[in-house]
Amino acid sequence: MSKKPLNKDSATKTENGVPLSGRALIELIKAVHARGLPFRFRAGGHSMAPFIRDGDVIILSPFAACEPRPGDVTAFIHPETESLCVHRVLAVRGGRYLIQGDNLPGKPDGMVPLNAILGRVTVVERAGRRVRMGLGPERRMIAFISRCGGLTLIRRLARPLHGCLRRSPAPCVKN
Amino acid sequence: MKKIRLDMVFSQSSDVVSREIDGSLIIVPLTSGVGDMEDDLFSMNETGTEIWRMLDGRRTLGEIVETLTGKYRAERGEIERDVIGIVKELIKRRMLVEETA
Repeated sequence: MSKKPLNKDSATKTENGVPLSGRALIELIKAVHARGLPFRFRAGGHSMAPFIRDGDVIILSPFAACEPRPGDVTAFIHPETESLCVHRVLAVRGGRYLIQGDNLPGKPDGMVPLNAILGRVTVVERAGRRVRMGLGPERRMIAFISRCGGLTLIRRLARPLHGCLRRSPAPCVKN
Repeated sequence: MKKIRLDMVFSQSSDVVSREIDGSLIIVPLTSGVGDMEDDLFSMNETGTEIWRMLDGRRTLGEIVETLTGKYRAERGEIERDVIGIVKELIKRRMLVEETA
């Protein structure tokens, strides 16, 4: 039998922040959750803005005894694309979950079965600080408003106010 | 760090989760009770994965070097350096535990 060449690099390669495919991430989440432990990773994309922003670090906990409820932000395997998604549960119907991104009004991910849901987002960290909005008791209200299409309206109304608040601090600081 | 000898035996720490995905092995540390992708993640491909599999708490490093020497087209000394190098790296990240007789 002929011997294989030794790939030196393969024996010693170590990296921080190894880029992983969605499938790899799903495998690792499942493996860590099987040990009953939460999984911490960096979220990408804008579909959950403003509650989860591109680059936020999130902690995903296994559901264990309880099941997902409306308002919970979950990581799940998308029924059509089979990719990993982090979106909010809007409703439960016949043991399946209606899930949608907060920033994707009118574009639900479909009815997702329980076995495709990997866990619940319990912590969001932005620039080293915990962001609590969107994960506490208000999450049920957010799900309700999102289901009625109200998040878009709120965002539209809040935009001019946000602009004013951004422009106004100088006179206040001057005092 | 303690000197690594070829008669030493190591096993994989229970504080890690490892999975072979798309031909490479990914090791996630479970430090402070969380599987942390933002922490030191360790990625190895073919040879590294083979070494990781053989760190089973039974084989000495010398036996691992012997197995690899029979399999790869490389000098024993080179393989020895690679095995010790990777073991050192894994110990530093607390991914390996030394088995004592």
